[in-house]
Amino acid sequence: MGNFFRSLLGLPGPHPVLIDNRNLFEAFDQGRPLAHYSFVVCDTELTGLNRRRDEIISIGAVRIEGLQILPGETFHRYIRPRNIDPNQATLIHRITPEQLRGVPPVEEVLPGFVRFCGDALIVGHFVDIDMHFLNRAARRVLGGTLSNPSIDTMRLARAYKEARCRDYYGHCDQSMSYNLDELSNEFHLPRFKPHDALEDALQTAYLFLFLVKKFRHGGIRTLRELYRAGRTLGLVG
Amino acid sequence: MQLSGKKGPSPAQGPGRGVSQAAPPEVVVDFLRNIMPFNELAEEKLRQIARHVRVDFYPRGTRLLTAGETELTHLFLIQQGGVRSYIVDDEGEVTLKDYRGEGSSVGALPIIRNTPANLNVETVEDTFCFLLPREDFLDLIENQPGFAQYYLKNFSEKIVNTAYTELRRHRMGRRSDEDLLLFSLQVGDLVKQKPRALPADATIQEAARAMAEFRIGSILVHRPGESREIIGIVTDRDLRNKVIAAGLDYSEPVARIMSQPVIRVLSRAVCFDALLTMMSSGIHHLAVEQKGQVVGVVTSHDIMLLQGNSPYLLFKEIGKQRTMDGLYPLSRRIPDMIRNLVIEGAKASNIARMISILNDHILTRLLTLLEEEMGPPPLEYCWLLLGSEGRREQTFKTDQDNAIIYADPGSDSERRAAEEYFGRFARQAIDHLVKCGYPLCPGEIMAVNPRWCQPLSVWKEYFSSWVETPEPRELLNATIFFDFRAGFGRTALADELRAHLNRITGRQEIYLLHMARECMASRAPLSFFKNFIVEKNGEHRNKLDIKHQGLAPFVNFARILALRHNVNETNTLARLHVLADEGHISGDLWSTAHAAYEMQMQLRIVHQLNQIDRGEEPDNYIDPGQLSDLEKRMLRDAFEVIDRLHAVLKLMFPVV
Repeated sequence: MGNFFRSLLGLPGPHPVLIDNRNLFEAFDQGRPLAHYSFVVCDTELTGLNRRRDEIISIGAVRIEGLQILPGETFHRYIRPRNIDPNQATLIHRITPEQLRGVPPVEEVLPGFVRFCGDALIVGHFVDIDMHFLNRAARRVLGGTLSNPSIDTMRLARAYKEARCRDYYGHCDQSMSYNLDELSNEFHLPRFKPHDALEDALQTAYLFLFLVKKFRHGGIRTLRELYRAGRTLGLVG
Repeated sequence: MQLSGKKGPSPAQGPGRGVSQAAPPEVVVDFLRNIMPFNELAEEKLRQIARHVRVDFYPRGTRLLTAGETELTHLFLIQQGGVRSYIVDDEGEVTLKDYRGEGSSVGALPIIRNTPANLNVETVEDTFCFLLPREDFLDLIENQPGFAQYYLKNFSEKIVNTAYTELRRHRMGRRSDEDLLLFSLQVGDLVKQKPRALPADATIQEAARAMAEFRIGSILVHRPGESREIIGIVTDRDLRNKVIAAGLDYSEPVARIMSQPVIRVLSRAVCFDALLTMMSSGIHHLAVEQKGQVVGVVTSHDIMLLQGNSPYLLFKEIGKQRTMDGLYPLSRRIPDMIRNLVIEGAKASNIARMISILNDHILTRLLTLLEEEMGPPPLEYCWLLLGSEGRREQTFKTDQDNAIIYADPGSDSERRAAEEYFGRFARQAIDHLVKCGYPLCPGEIMAVNPRWCQPLSVWKEYFSSWVETPEPRELLNATIFFDFRAGFGRTALADELRAHLNRITGRQEIYLLHMARECMASRAPLSFFKNFIVEKNGEHRNKLDIKHQGLAPFVNFARILALRHNVNETNTLARLHVLADEGHISGDLWSTAHAAYEMQMQLRIVHQLNQIDRGEEPDNYIDPGQLSDLEKRMLRDAFEVIDRLHAVLKLMFPVV
């Protein structure tokens, strides 16, 4: 929803943090070497997968700079959803509804996360889902969506495996699973505990680093080349 | 506050508060906590530096460092994967230097020395590294005790002790809960009262009265008028054997019955040392010395009280046997006894000494009984122990390596009598030894082989011919025969053969040169990588032959130098010690080689004990997968020492 319509409806303008966010990407250049970009690899834990009803209950993220993971620069918060349903699938995240009652709502958490992302690209596994729930919350509480471009490690992994299959066998078996756990096993990555937003974000960061550097034997230099290679360009917002 | 997902939120300390951007990265902290030397850091410090660590990924084949070029901005710590390092010389020749895997670091030395990379390093697998900024690393080197030593390889006593403790604790099951005090108690701790002494001109009766009054089993004897100069000791046994049984007059001076000299042991020596001294000398009373003064007496009984399954009890039991059948089961008790010693903290060199003392004792008892059975020999003879037995370096897998040398016969009939007697003697001895659990030598280097049961003059000829015409087989003989020592009988015969050997090797440099060449042909392994051992040519094996690859180079080196410098010792460490004392090798090389050799012997003994526990035949093949990182590291350093030994040989025999 643009500013014009918001003002027509008498709604307040977007949150200052979102305006800053938008300004950062006004002149976004895809032609720079990959190592010159910041990436924030993030993972959200949700109450469920219903795109209209479900909500974020935690965000975990870690920064990548110069194509190196900075484990000292992480973001990890739990969020109190508006509807706490004791029957919902929160147990998988080892969080009880009881515990969620004691944490801040998304209004208090999201601005910090947007600031943490800064001018970084957002990387996630099935990132569209994360972006959908982040932007839905952002529209409600910040009056707009995030301008950060995103990169999906799942699609990147698929493109990488397709390319590798073509290189080696001339055909490709597409029956493989692309969930984070199995890809991490397949590529022999160091392992993190699943079902925790921060640990999953770290796991995704390792996967991202692996793919970016293995793809075309390190021949991918710029962001544009990465997008082309992965066909994953999806400017959100 | 830390909000790692591992803990999950708790109602009392709700999630979502706090500055999680600064949360210490658990993945890094956990990694550092488990590698040396970072595991020594305080938790606070560990978390502080963990915040500065980055993670990078290097696909297989990535060049990390280029020798002489790359400036290090950080230390690489391998989280997963592996690298190899190598140098390329002016002619393009590539020499592999090392493989490193998980938990190892790359780049420490150049950072410490403030130079560009000294080696080329590239990944041999897809590799994830933690990068510790140069400044943080240098701060640790300067301010954390142990860091500089670790990276500069000056192992502190503490690290070495940790390695041995690790070996004992993680690799050895404790069989019994009995606490052996042999290694924790010092001899001085056993001294119950101050020493009692009386002058040498006191009467026997005065001595006995004093012993009764003080309720002691022995009394020291000093020079008249010089109460500090201890010259002898009188024990209960002396009173019984030399006085009462012999009907000696009680008013005779005590000097007539005292034993001398009095063997001394340092007050701070551990009891195990005292025990070794008693067992090898056959003396039961030792004077305890502190700052040059005798402060008390310890007896074998005092030490025996310290332990249950004791080496000393076994030793005594061997000596008591009146039949050869009685000896058979005794040697099988050695492993259990050794296990206790290892757990208690005995060093491998001491254990080997203990094993050879016990084996010698069994041999002595057995041959004494055999002589009694067969009647006296026609000529003087000496039972020679060869190879590892000769070097006092046996472990549990001790094939028999022995020979007989007898005095030169004066006539044909004497010669025939000797051949007949010693042939029969050897056959029976070998047979009994097998029954005692010492397997036959597959190469038939045993006294039962007529070739190895000969008079002194023939032995001299053997040795001369081996030295003069060094053929491969002669070189092999040399490694076994030249480490001979007297096991039983007339030691003078062995001494004369040793003197002969010294005379001829002194004249035959060419022979030593051949031995040196042979010695250097066996190259030490390079390193460990994952569960493999890496050879210098980069090949991987999954087993380390610790005897031939690790220990033999030290043994061979010591033998060559001992022959060259007429050192009569046969034990490898004893040879090296004498060589260092006489200035033939540097003190530094001696202590380094000593540590490296001892470490490997320890590994071997623990390995073999574990095999015996599992009911397997003990061997010398160690699986690197069973070694801790510290053990691998120590072994790797031991391999490097082998290169230093070879360099010494090369200097000595430039044409090799």
